[in-house]
Amino acid sequence: MNEPLLAVRGLEYIYPGGVVALRGLDLSIERGQKLAILGPNGSGKTTLLLHLNGLCKPTRGEIQLDGQPVGYDHQALNHWRRRVGLILQEPNDQLFAATVRQDVSFGPLNLGLSSAEAGERVREALEALRVAHLAGRPTHTLSFGQKKRVAIAGVLAMRPEILVLDEPTAGLDSHGVTHLLGALQQLYEAGTTLVFSTHDVELAYAWADQVAVFYEGAVLRQGETALVLGDREVLRQSRLRPPLLLEIAEALGNGRNHLQSTPRSREGVLALLQERLAGNS
Amino acid sequence: MRAIDHYAWTNRWRDWHPVEKGLPAISLLVLTLLLPPLTTAPLVLAGAMLTTVYGAGIPWKTLLSVLAAPLMFLLAGIPFLAVSVDFASGFDLTLSPEGLQLALVTAIRALAAMSCLAFLILTTPLTDGVLLLRRIGIPAGVIELILLIYRLIFVFSERALTGRQAQAARLGYSRLDRSVRSLGLLGGNLFQRALEQARRLEIGLMARGYTGELQVLPPQWKPSWARLMAGMMGVGLVGLASGWLARGLS
Repeated sequence: MNEPLLAVRGLEYIYPGGVVALRGLDLSIERGQKLAILGPNGSGKTTLLLHLNGLCKPTRGEIQLDGQPVGYDHQALNHWRRRVGLILQEPNDQLFAATVRQDVSFGPLNLGLSSAEAGERVREALEALRVAHLAGRPTHTLSFGQKKRVAIAGVLAMRPEILVLDEPTAGLDSHGVTHLLGALQQLYEAGTTLVFSTHDVELAYAWADQVAVFYEGAVLRQGETALVLGDREVLRQSRLRPPLLLEIAEALGNGRNHLQSTPRSREGVLALLQERLAGNS
Repeated sequence: MRAIDHYAWTNRWRDWHPVEKGLPAISLLVLTLLLPPLTTAPLVLAGAMLTTVYGAGIPWKTLLSVLAAPLMFLLAGIPFLAVSVDFASGFDLTLSPEGLQLALVTAIRALAAMSCLAFLILTTPLTDGVLLLRRIGIPAGVIELILLIYRLIFVFSERALTGRQAQAARLGYSRLDRSVRSLGLLGGNLFQRALEQARRLEIGLMARGYTGELQVLPPQWKPSWARLMAGMMGVGLVGLASGWLARGLS
């Protein structure tokens, strides 16, 4: 097996005040994968993500980038944050500049790029998220979905190898979700590794290559999406419901032995349903 | 404030370089202060207002409401200039012609000056205006602060609005005493949120490599000399007309 791009080993984090957020957690993020961190609210997902680019320093345990434990000095952090980009759940926590173009230029300029290069990065990032038409707009007049995409563009403009997103679909309507996932899918196809936290089992099932099921500050199981989400015991422990699509496929006789060949899209499951219906008549 | 911001970002002259709007507006303001007010100020007032409405396309209603706020202060203060109080023989209140003229001159001059500023704030977003400040050498730290405050005003006014609505929905403003209490609670809550927001914004910025400097790309546009010249010629015209009027009157 390849060495993971980013690995978390025995991570423990205790908040000042004694609340234990993460208790001995292991996680591997492999190059070119879409990894969903799946867990209920308040299970410590956000705290974990803050560790992934050095915004929180673990109480115990370590984080490895390319197999090397990362340091927390100024230079190491800069190098780390250049490679791992983090997008917070609430875009207002990230957007600070008055216009979209200015905000997105913040990261590239922090990388020490020239104005011309930074301008090019901004253009590219806005296009990748399909918000180029908003470049001159003041940040405060954007809709929530637009703010979200601009916040992602702001991180993307730094060209990270890994994009870490906290609840990327939270608060978006179905059109907004489709739009956002479309843009993220393109980044994924271009080689960006994606890590996202979610409490939405259906989203993880339909979209992730790998799932890490998270409960009370620990990863119960990480692995291939179909295998992990087909594991009733793990889902029960973490108080998640099995994905509806998987349940339907199972009800149609696509048994537990075929987890990996079970269709994971609506279209796939509908086709299976029609096939069975046609077979019965 | 919302209306001003809205028009500043959407008016017809939005994309003009701030210098093209700022220099004529400030020059006009200087004319108002230097030249004899009775002839200059009405011309400046008319010129600035007509330019705002027919040039930049700002509705009369918005322009007048922007001018109305300082007008209130003016109306409150002017009567005291017109009358003179004499304490020598007890208490004597007189309306003198000199006082009346002084009041008139002050009023029209203030109004004209305000119309120049109204033109500027209604046609130029704050962020562009700040560019002018940078050009005249205001330190980067101060400018960063202005821009950050500008951005956060909208985050908090939104919070304040939804907070107020949530309180009103639970009858928090149904009586005067409750209103006072609710408003106090809202204020305290907003203050806490402001601190929390600041902390989270710092995390968000640190994730993007923030190290203490909020540098962003400046806007790229260049001033159009033609438009700037046209603007300054307009100002010159107002100055000449005022001089001609003054000679005619004397």
